[in-house]
Amino acid sequence: MRRQAVLRVLVLPAFLAGASGPLRAQDAPSEETIAFFRQNCMSCHTIGGGRLTGPDLKGAHERADEAWLVDFVLDPKGVIDSGDPYAAEIFRDARGVYMTQVPGIDRARAEKLVRLIVSESAKEKSEFAGLQVSDRPLTDADVARGRQLFLGAATYQNGAPACVSCHTLSGLGGLGGGTLGPDLTDVYDRLEGRKALAAWLGSPPSMVMQPVFEGHALDGEEILALVGYLKSVAEGQEEAQPASTLRFVLLGFAGAAFLLLLFDFLWRKRYRATRRPLLRTSRHAAAGSHS
Amino acid sequence: MNDYVLFGVLPYVVMVVFLVVTIQRYRMKAFSYSSLSSQFLENQHHFWGSVPFHYGILVVLMGHVVAFLMPKAILWWNAAPLRLVLLEVTGIAFAVLTLVGLVNIMLRRVSRRLARRVTTPADWVVYALLLVQVLSGIGVAVFHGWGSSWFATNLSPWLWSLVTLSPDVRFVAPLPAMVKVHIVNSFLLIGFFPFTRLVHILVVPNQYLWRRTQVVIWNWDRSRVRSVD
Repeated sequence: MRRQAVLRVLVLPAFLAGASGPLRAQDAPSEETIAFFRQNCMSCHTIGGGRLTGPDLKGAHERADEAWLVDFVLDPKGVIDSGDPYAAEIFRDARGVYMTQVPGIDRARAEKLVRLIVSESAKEKSEFAGLQVSDRPLTDADVARGRQLFLGAATYQNGAPACVSCHTLSGLGGLGGGTLGPDLTDVYDRLEGRKALAAWLGSPPSMVMQPVFEGHALDGEEILALVGYLKSVAEGQEEAQPASTLRFVLLGFAGAAFLLLLFDFLWRKRYRATRRPLLRTSRHAAAGSHS
Repeated sequence: MNDYVLFGVLPYVVMVVFLVVTIQRYRMKAFSYSSLSSQFLENQHHFWGSVPFHYGILVVLMGHVVAFLMPKAILWWNAAPLRLVLLEVTGIAFAVLTLVGLVNIMLRRVSRRLARRVTTPADWVVYALLLVQVLSGIGVAVFHGWGSSWFATNLSPWLWSLVTLSPDVRFVAPLPAMVKVHIVNSFLLIGFFPFTRLVHILVVPNQYLWRRTQVVIWNWDRSRVRSVD
């Protein structure tokens, strides 16, 4: 404690106010840590912007000590399942959703993240207060534009690819959307509404999407339009679409069958033109020579 | 780590093998650059193997190359749902055509006595790799659509990162197992390429398509030449 107190005195000028805890006694967070936080944490957490899927992290170090936070970040499920009372409380507040293990996390990185939370908590307004998507009501125009963006008929300002490449949802028609990623029909409910869904779209944490959306982030209005569309889909009473996979396969087989028939037709003289006359001549010659 | 070996190292190993051995083989044994056609031995079953297989794989392979070279063009094309469906259905139709051809080729090599006799172990390696490649490709197209779009968003940047010698496996590492099998197997095919009949791809007599036709005139009595005595 004594040593901490000394350190605190030493670093106090650097941080002006609110300093506490041993992790505080370090340099300001690096660009890399900030980028890592933005990429991996912001879809579920804000610092001072209120709860999303996970809790608002402002002042997290005052609710649990920093060593505990580091352990939790390293293995959220492990700590929750260990029966730790504070972890159980967090788990309850998240309505039974486990925090996902952060890809590429290690102790050093977890410590840097906690340090970032501490220093950002001290600020009046953190840059991680969350994407400031307007609170205006969602309109029919949003829904229509959201659908266009989803399908790729309208393009994203920063060049992100259309959702339909990898995702489907009910009511798309045709053969539906892609199946590489999950069906997004009920994603609005799954992520518990507008705020969390908007945050998710602001920096998609999925491993497949991360590198693709790097440098191609969606803009606030685009996110709002998508949220409007996804909300209307989730609320819509559209009947579940019959599996388009089967139709796709059947179309493939039909196409291949057509091509085989085409080849048979195009090369219809394939035996008659050369091979059969040759055989005939040779047989004729053979027969002739014996007579 | 494993992903790094498979998608960040294997491609380079394979390319080195490919370049060194194809060049060496051409210098040492130029006349072995052939697929050693067995069409003269049997040409009826051959038609339903070779023709669908080659037209199928040429179209499918061309699709992959275009998505690699012009990912933006593919994404632009796919921006209209009808065009996306058209492209994907064309792709799957030619993929099924490839599969039909390949299965016929393999059946013929087993069931026709003369064809079986000229089939080498290296041929079977090629057929096995191709079968895995075509089946996994169809599997990816059916269960992880729409591949034409996400090839452009995920695989093109990864392939270009390989070209620029700064492999970025983050684009491939989280993809489903079937996609990874398809990718790794494609590199195995390239690796085995110089040791097998696949080298014929490098010496396709394309000029036959535009050279002037040759008229063959026989000026002897064909029936005499062909007589048995």
